[in-house]
Amino acid sequence: MNHQLLHIFRNSPLGRETLLQSIYFSRQIEVSPVIYIPKSTKFLMYFENDVVQIDLDASYLMSPDTALEHATELLEKADLEPKFLEPKHYTASTLPDIHTDFGYMSCPRSISSLSSKIGLGYIGPRVRRIVKSAQFPVLITSPVYKEWESIAVFFGGSVNAFNALKLGFQLCRISGMRLDVFTLLENKSQESYEKLITDKNLETEMSRYVNTWHFLRKKALEKNLYEVPHNALVVLGAYGHHLLKNFVFGSKMEKIQATIFNNLLIVGPNYPAESYRAAS
Amino acid sequence: MRIFQSWRYPANWTIFRLDDRLLLILMAIIVGSFSGIASVVLNRSIVTIFGWLHHFRHYWWAFVLPGIGAALSSLFLDKIVKEGAGHGVPEVIYSVSRYGGLLRFRSSFSRIISSALTIGSGGSAGPEAPVVISGASIGSNIAKYFSLNDRQRVALVGCGAAGAISSIFNAPIAGMVFAIEVILGEWKSVNIVPIAISAVAGTEISRILQGNQIAFSHRLFSISHMDIVACVGLAVLTAAASILLTRLLRSMHVISKKLPTPVWLRAAIGGCAVGLIGLFLPVVLGEGYHSVQAMIDGVFLQGFAIVGLGTLAKIVATALTLGWGGAGGIFAPCLVIGSLAGLTYHHGLALLWPSVSWVNEGCFALLGMAGLISGMLQAPLTGIFLIVEITGGYEVILPLIIVSTISTSLCHYIEPASYYLKELVERGHFLRPGTDARVLSDLNVSELIEKDCIAVTQNMLLRDFISIVKKSHRNYFPVENEKTGHFMGIIHLDDIRPYLFNPVMYDAVFLGQIMNTRVDIVNLDDELADVIRKMDANHLFSMPVVVNNRFIGLISKGNLLDQYRKELMVQTSQLM
Repeated sequence: MNHQLLHIFRNSPLGRETLLQSIYFSRQIEVSPVIYIPKSTKFLMYFENDVVQIDLDASYLMSPDTALEHATELLEKADLEPKFLEPKHYTASTLPDIHTDFGYMSCPRSISSLSSKIGLGYIGPRVRRIVKSAQFPVLITSPVYKEWESIAVFFGGSVNAFNALKLGFQLCRISGMRLDVFTLLENKSQESYEKLITDKNLETEMSRYVNTWHFLRKKALEKNLYEVPHNALVVLGAYGHHLLKNFVFGSKMEKIQATIFNNLLIVGPNYPAESYRAAS
Repeated sequence: MRIFQSWRYPANWTIFRLDDRLLLILMAIIVGSFSGIASVVLNRSIVTIFGWLHHFRHYWWAFVLPGIGAALSSLFLDKIVKEGAGHGVPEVIYSVSRYGGLLRFRSSFSRIISSALTIGSGGSAGPEAPVVISGASIGSNIAKYFSLNDRQRVALVGCGAAGAISSIFNAPIAGMVFAIEVILGEWKSVNIVPIAISAVAGTEISRILQGNQIAFSHRLFSISHMDIVACVGLAVLTAAASILLTRLLRSMHVISKKLPTPVWLRAAIGGCAVGLIGLFLPVVLGEGYHSVQAMIDGVFLQGFAIVGLGTLAKIVATALTLGWGGAGGIFAPCLVIGSLAGLTYHHGLALLWPSVSWVNEGCFALLGMAGLISGMLQAPLTGIFLIVEITGGYEVILPLIIVSTISTSLCHYIEPASYYLKELVERGHFLRPGTDARVLSDLNVSELIEKDCIAVTQNMLLRDFISIVKKSHRNYFPVENEKTGHFMGIIHLDDIRPYLFNPVMYDAVFLGQIMNTRVDIVNLDDELADVIRKMDANHLFSMPVVVNNRFIGLISKGNLLDQYRKELMVQTSQLM
């Protein structure tokens, strides 16, 4: 398990909120934030099977003379050692590579579009690509700094959902916070989900870490989301289904993020399940 | 749904599980065909844009046309697709070296559009390098779509490059040799077969869509011994031209970067300068293949001075186009400069020794092209096969070999890295398979950490520590702060040896007194080459990995060399 969280710093009020979220997350789950202060609006992230070019919104380059000072100040206030990432490799002279060997990455809902566009229901295409390609979970922060005091995992039985659940156990163990699990009963019974847990030998962890397993019974996912505590870190899997199913039915993660303001920790399809075993 | 899913993972199909080379062959056909189409599209676009603008070339203001084209090309690359300028071949080699051939999807079309604008408007550049990055990107993205592994992806990147070069020159062997010699840098049968097939596919697509034509046909040359001896001088001249072009291209980059203007304006300035040169010497404009054909046919009727001046002008024009931000490659300019250099040399020989019956000047033009390509790319086989194929002139193979090899050797002596590799070598990014740097770059600190270390605290007595040592099989013990868990130092078994046989000291010595606090630590993002350098310099066998003041594990030389050997075996295995 890598103990670092990558944060791309935007030297603006919105960037401050996002960095505060990253700092709070880092302190709760004992990881070290690594801050990248971009010097150009584009950089590349090479993942296992994809390369993603991040074209940053111009506000990331605002007041470069004070960026380092602002980021350092926020980190030092939180008693965290300021650690800044300097790109070592360049695909082209103006195109740095940012390595992807991190435990987590923190992002606002969009990093390529103007901050005025960022709101509920909108996830930028680059953030989506990062989630799909990354081997680490991505922390999508709420628009304003909000401390979370419990963890809520959305569990639907898919491979990604199991990964999210295991990550939830891990976060609960490290932070000591309350963990709730939410399952939307679509066409299946409550027992079938319990059987899935039994089949994966996760009963012990469920009883050890989970406070309440909520079964959401209303048909529409959005109608159930009021049940989720407003101050919970929501952990959920995303883009685990193949292209066609996502195309026809849409992504549940996108529906959830469009409805709630919570901080989201998203587990993409390439997040390796071994991370849980290695860390526990 | 399942059918759809399995379609994305052909490596799991029964037929390909038997032998994954079959999978690569199938993919090579697909990649070669798409690369071939990309080449044809670029070729037709250049011809079309050049044709549209041809009517305006006689106006006095026509010199701005290459400037406008270069500016549009730069704006397109910078603002729309957000890619840097340049021809992209170093990017392909870099991605093959470091990231298993991962290339952005946008690269599959961006350079086609931008170089069509640059070259079509009259910029002095070639379409070959842009189609190489397009083909390579097509290969990389097809490999990504079908979830192929790194080795297969690299092979498909090579296939894309081979298909593209084969298609644009109608030269399958040159495409194949270029992909292996320049892009991949390794001659493995597992790569050669798909690359050869891709080259055939690319060539066939080009022949279907554009007809089977030799780019520069010529009549038979009757080469004497005197001509072969004279080739040595031509090799020296082409080597000098290659060095001049390489250095001028780089210095133009440096000069243009210093200008406090937007990149599109720099490209426009470079383009306009080329346009101005083109008003007096039209041979410098565009890809210049008509002039090459005229020189090979022996109907380029300019004298020694004009041809010599043309050579220099084309070198300057190419440096202005590419160095100031235009998009395009150096293959076509090399062919033009090489043929002009060959012609100049022939005219020089005829002036000096008028009584000798030298071979037709077209032969020297053809040899000059090989000399320039070989010198610039430092890839003699590519130079030889390309010229043989695009001219159909197998009878010139002996002087071709002489010119290519001497030119390559001279250029390598003066400029150890070729034009494509120079920047990569300077940045330490040129990592060919099986080399020390490549093996180390494929490993990282986090995969080498050994976590079975027992942490101790500074207030622990030696007696307690000895009982821990009995249980551990390690020689190093990290010391952590009791309250914060922060890493404070390390104890090696050698540190307790002076006290080991004196039991009186067991309850008198605290670990805080004997621990080593001045320890070189490793961060997770440190380069392994740096780690091993530190170990060698300080005679260390293990180093602690510390993140945010917390001890994560140890990295040991033994484990590192063990992994190094495994990685080296993977990279150098002929079966892979």
